[in-house]
Amino acid sequence: MPFSRSPSRAPSPSRPAPAAGRAAARGHLAPLDGLRGCAVAAVLLFHAGHVEGGFLGVDLFFVLSGFLITGLLLREAAGRGRIDLAAFWARRARRLLPALAVMGVGTLLLAWAFGPPALLRLALDDAPWVAVQGTNWHFIAEQAGYWDASDTRLFAHLWSIAVEWQFYLVWPLVVLAAARGRGGEWRVASLAAAGALLSLALMVGLADPVDTTRVYEGTDTRAFSLLLGALAATAPIRDLCARVPRPAADVVVALLGCGLVASWVLTGGQSTPGLFRGGMFAHSLAAAVLIALLAGVPDGRTGRLVGSAVPRRLGELSYSLYLWHWPVYLLLPEVVFGIGGWGRTAVAIGLSLGAAVAAKRWVEDPVRFRARWATGRRGLLTLAAAAAVAAGVWAAIPQPHPGAGTVDVDRLMAP
Amino acid sequence: MSAGALLTGCGTDGTGDTGASGASGAGTDSPSPSREQESAAKVLWMGDSIAGVEGPALEAALTASGVEFMNASSDGGGTVVEGDEMSSRLAESTWEDLEENIASFRPDVIAYQITTYDWGTPEQQRSSYEKLAGTARDAGAELVLVSAPPFRIDDFYRPYESAIESAPEVAGEVAEAGGGRVHFLDSAQLWGTESDAERAQRAPDGIHSCQQGSAAFAAWLSEELGERYDFAPAAPEEWADGSWTGDERFAQLGCS
Repeated sequence: MPFSRSPSRAPSPSRPAPAAGRAAARGHLAPLDGLRGCAVAAVLLFHAGHVEGGFLGVDLFFVLSGFLITGLLLREAAGRGRIDLAAFWARRARRLLPALAVMGVGTLLLAWAFGPPALLRLALDDAPWVAVQGTNWHFIAEQAGYWDASDTRLFAHLWSIAVEWQFYLVWPLVVLAAARGRGGEWRVASLAAAGALLSLALMVGLADPVDTTRVYEGTDTRAFSLLLGALAATAPIRDLCARVPRPAADVVVALLGCGLVASWVLTGGQSTPGLFRGGMFAHSLAAAVLIALLAGVPDGRTGRLVGSAVPRRLGELSYSLYLWHWPVYLLLPEVVFGIGGWGRTAVAIGLSLGAAVAAKRWVEDPVRFRARWATGRRGLLTLAAAAAVAAGVWAAIPQPHPGAGTVDVDRLMAP
Repeated sequence: MSAGALLTGCGTDGTGDTGASGASGAGTDSPSPSREQESAAKVLWMGDSIAGVEGPALEAALTASGVEFMNASSDGGGTVVEGDEMSSRLAESTWEDLEENIASFRPDVIAYQITTYDWGTPEQQRSSYEKLAGTARDAGAELVLVSAPPFRIDDFYRPYESAIESAPEVAGEVAEAGGGRVHFLDSAQLWGTESDAERAQRAPDGIHSCQQGSAAFAAWLSEELGERYDFAPAAPEEWADGSWTGDERFAQLGCS
């Protein structure tokens, strides 16, 4: 049964759409790429130990993902009257999995060649969970503390990719069911809002002051970021934003952007008061409002700044940059060419950028834009070969024996 | 009844993560058959994640000494102190677990290493340690309170520094009043008092120990328990470089 569009608020192809809807309908906005670039920069600096609240960049990623994915789903529902779920999941798989697989195999090989046995052992243990996009729950079950033990796991950062993937599996089903019929986008908006509040309640209720990994990495407790982004993509919010005068929207966007950056700089680690009792939710909410408004005024002053070449380019590389930076950080010696601190960070980011550019050029883009080897029968063969190589590398790398020779027995017996 | 008499001839009905059952870790560091046949004692090991990474070495050492061992330490928490809101929350699960572990393992010795979460006033700490002593007594076991090693006091622990300092003093007082069934072991004899000193043998995180430190602790505690409970600790070459050194917890701490 074809979907009907929202009665009066959804932008119609036959009449002029509100500014926000018009902008969002273009699908690809330079300022949003720029925001992604800012987010990945925050995460890179956080992991290098320079910006304590930079982990909130992941939160911004989530909100952006929720916004963009929901926008795509709603436009498909409105335009074609249905959502082709299989095609949606296939597109997400093409977008996310090839670069992830290459990074995973490359990291295992690098760890085997250069890493200490303990690092390799945990990477081999974690790899199957990476393959099934379940690293976040694996780490929670293993009580591998995000804040304490991440630097012992080469795939520690993939918890967020797993959260996004799990969201991509479930949320389209919700949109498919809720967007059907009159008032569909209102129902989607209501479900997103209710889901976000439920997720917040779970975070508050499950927050454990000793180890916050459960709430930090749980799909349920982080869903509010994705759902607030989703909410921002719905017609009620788009229409609301469209009513904000452009100059005012531009100013609010600038203030919110400055506020987010300030929160990254001023927030400490997991013990920041209120972080898991509404603080992170407030960050997500601010990010969602920022994105919703920015999508409506992408050509305002703030939009032009955020969408300028450097952040935009960084945003375009953000996925592979995010994938590669953490293994590079961990495998790089503490002192590189005699330099540590910011110098080492610069080297690490440079190497990560190099890996990201290569991955985008030779893996992400060909698969995404359907190069000959990535489509049809050749594509299936490539997929099968890639899966076989990944599994083969994982199985062929000899299990390391960390701990061997670590105890000096003579020292124990010394008086 | 003397402690030695109390601890000899015990059954081997322990379940779970017990050394004598060969459930984990020390499988290749197994004691001699004669020691396996009759356990000298049954030790229930409690504490937080610091005790957790000492557990594999302690299991290897005690099992090699003919002692049954159950590692009931926590990966995060493990305190028995019903003090402030947070420690009380943590303690609730510790007490629940203890009840189950006593029923299933029937220990002769409950060894509790003071945790980094023993947060409360000295009175709350005293009350909780006395409750632990009473629980041990009711279970027919003796209680050994072990002070925590020195660890890095970071922003997380700083608000609780006074509780961390008072806990071993209070534990010592509870042991003195325990009528010979409660003992206090000051691990400063082994570690010293400075967390950043080489002697403290802390892992890169400044809190836990790597394999060498855990082995040193296991050797020290085995000696201490052996003296009190009439068993001969196995020599370190029998167990110290066994498979337990590959325990995943060490990898997670960034140890080799």
